[in-house]
Amino acid sequence: MSRIKRLYNWFEMRLQLEGPVKDAALHPVPRNTASWWYVFGSAATTLLMLQIVTGILLGLVYVASGSEAWKTLDELNHQLYLGWFLRAMHGWGSNFMVAVVLVHMAQVFTFGAYKFPRELTWILGVFMLLMTLGMAFTGQVLRFDQDAYWGLGIGASIMSRVPVIGGALVDLLLGGPIIGGATLSRFFALHVFVIPGTLLLFTAVHIWMVLKLGINDWPMPGRVVRRNTYLQEYHELSHKDGVPFVPDALWKDLFFSAAILAAVAVCAFVFGPYGPGGQPDPTIIQTAPKPDFFFLWLYAVLSYLPPSLETPFVLIAPVIGICILLALPLVAGEGEKSWHRRPVAILVLVTVAVSWGIFTHLATFTPWSPIMDAWSGDPVPPKLIHDASPLVRQGAVVFQAKQCRNCHAVGGSGGMRGPALDTVAVRLTEDQLIRQVLQGGGNMPAYGKNLSPPEVTALVRFLETLKPDGQPPAIDATHQEQKAQNAAPQQ
Amino acid sequence: MNVRGFCGSILVLCGIASLGCNAPGKPTAGAEAVRPDEVKNFSKLYSQNCAGCHGADGQHGAALALANPVYQAIVDEGTLRNVIVNGEPGTLMPAFAQSAGGMLTDDQVNALVSGMRSRWYHADAVQGLDVPPFKTDKQGDAAHGQQVFTSHCASCHTTGVQQQNAKASSITDGSYLALISDQSLRAIIIAGRPDIGHPDWRSAQPGHPMSDQDVTDVVAWMASQRQKTPGQPYPSQP
Repeated sequence: MSRIKRLYNWFEMRLQLEGPVKDAALHPVPRNTASWWYVFGSAATTLLMLQIVTGILLGLVYVASGSEAWKTLDELNHQLYLGWFLRAMHGWGSNFMVAVVLVHMAQVFTFGAYKFPRELTWILGVFMLLMTLGMAFTGQVLRFDQDAYWGLGIGASIMSRVPVIGGALVDLLLGGPIIGGATLSRFFALHVFVIPGTLLLFTAVHIWMVLKLGINDWPMPGRVVRRNTYLQEYHELSHKDGVPFVPDALWKDLFFSAAILAAVAVCAFVFGPYGPGGQPDPTIIQTAPKPDFFFLWLYAVLSYLPPSLETPFVLIAPVIGICILLALPLVAGEGEKSWHRRPVAILVLVTVAVSWGIFTHLATFTPWSPIMDAWSGDPVPPKLIHDASPLVRQGAVVFQAKQCRNCHAVGGSGGMRGPALDTVAVRLTEDQLIRQVLQGGGNMPAYGKNLSPPEVTALVRFLETLKPDGQPPAIDATHQEQKAQNAAPQQ
Repeated sequence: MNVRGFCGSILVLCGIASLGCNAPGKPTAGAEAVRPDEVKNFSKLYSQNCAGCHGADGQHGAALALANPVYQAIVDEGTLRNVIVNGEPGTLMPAFAQSAGGMLTDDQVNALVSGMRSRWYHADAVQGLDVPPFKTDKQGDAAHGQQVFTSHCASCHTTGVQQQNAKASSITDGSYLALISDQSLRAIIIAGRPDIGHPDWRSAQPGHPMSDQDVTDVVAWMASQRQKTPGQPYPSQP
């Protein structure tokens, strides 16, 4: 017997792991579960491992202090060999992990895999999703830049709206009533010890249950889940038409995990690390902070909500949402798994996904928010004023100097809070333009008190030139009628 | 997909990443956002604060062309700095300095002034030419100014009711005159707007450059056309 074999036996006699590992590796799974649809869970686990490894390496350098954090990130980016790549891997790993976890969840939901006997696996998974989002949020805070600072401020102000205990919650979260020295330490502890520790424990139990209960069989229309027959049916399925988990199912998991890691590396290599953005100084007011992509939808939803609905929404909607997710397997633990027979479930999923996508997309360019430096930074398109009269030219200056551009785009640049004005002369007559400028209306404030009559006149002259070539301007039908009447008696 | 090729390409990528050479994602020096009041880069400052009205490269904008070498030749740095700091009274040019309620520090104003001078000031732009000074204390003669207008300006500009196109467009419209100062009129008459085809003082009437007095008089005449209550939307109606 070789030395290695002897050493192995020495450990095996004491640990006795060979049996359980062999059982786990070779246990039969239904042949059709060895599918490319079943690879997201293992990919999420792989990404978690990547995050732990890169996180530990970052932890060697990072200093969780308000005055040092930004500097250490700067040092990682510029002074440490491949420090930037490490930060980029961790940042992109986080993005991929959130995305893969969401895809995994959508797949499990679509395949009805949360039904008996895998209810607890799903419930644990919901908590793991929340923890993943918690990791993403606390990680964004540790990047202590302007986005982190204001994101934290928004998180804290959401907390503060909880009735009765709001103030205490904020103190608990921030280590005081405001963002201060203790805040970053708390988030460091959360991000590095509390959440990942719990997440790892939950992951272990989650995987344990997957091994013990078996991988969900491929849903077939008509193969209905019943509590008293399912286990027997699954056993038959996996033993009669089963394949050993290793290697028949595992190789796809391994391949996909490797591909995901490669994708993270490519993104990190090409797009680089996130920030850090500007320094987290509340005296800098020229900033438009934004959350990272997984919270963009929330940013958009909160921006569109009327103020009176904000508090009810932020306090009640998440609770209801989480309760629905937790209750799902308990309420719908039996029945059809196939998406062919679950139209409501699929419609709900599609609606949620499309809404999420739309809100996320909107939040990338924040059409509800004026662009505060468009007036001084976005030039008037030269072709609009190249042949303009002196008064129209002054009107364009009024348009910029009075900051109309911050809300109204011209030539594709400027704010999107109000309508783009490239064709406004086709829509509004001179009188309507003057009225709109003076009195406002819709979402627009009245500018009558802020503009002098010459400014309004020049501005409206400029706006009247904003129409596509070949299109007639808007006309006032009553003016035409009056002209016709005035002209008639002379004939 | 060719698995071996795929793995190979990953290895190559990792190899490049480990060398760290020319990685597109590698942050460049100073890539982190600096405090807005510490931005000293002229291009950035100009494109954030000036381009909106004065055009992307100091020309083709709605307001005066800063890249006009004649303008840069007649104006001095002190005046430029003062206009940026305090704005130009009688026009829409706002004050940009923190001392006057704006957002720019003194250093940033200096960066703008020196950036404009280094890019757009050419010492030989008006060398040897009899160019009227940027500022004057002379009193203008409005009646003579009208004659100068007729001889030098009337081929393009009209007076009275505003017209829509540039050729034959009124420069005595009440709203126009209310939004522009005498000094700005003087600057445009002398320096012109080469970017949009407006001649400068010497080429309005070829062979007869305008003298200091001519310019002063035209400005005086235009100033005399200012209205008491400009900008009424229906001036012709009772």
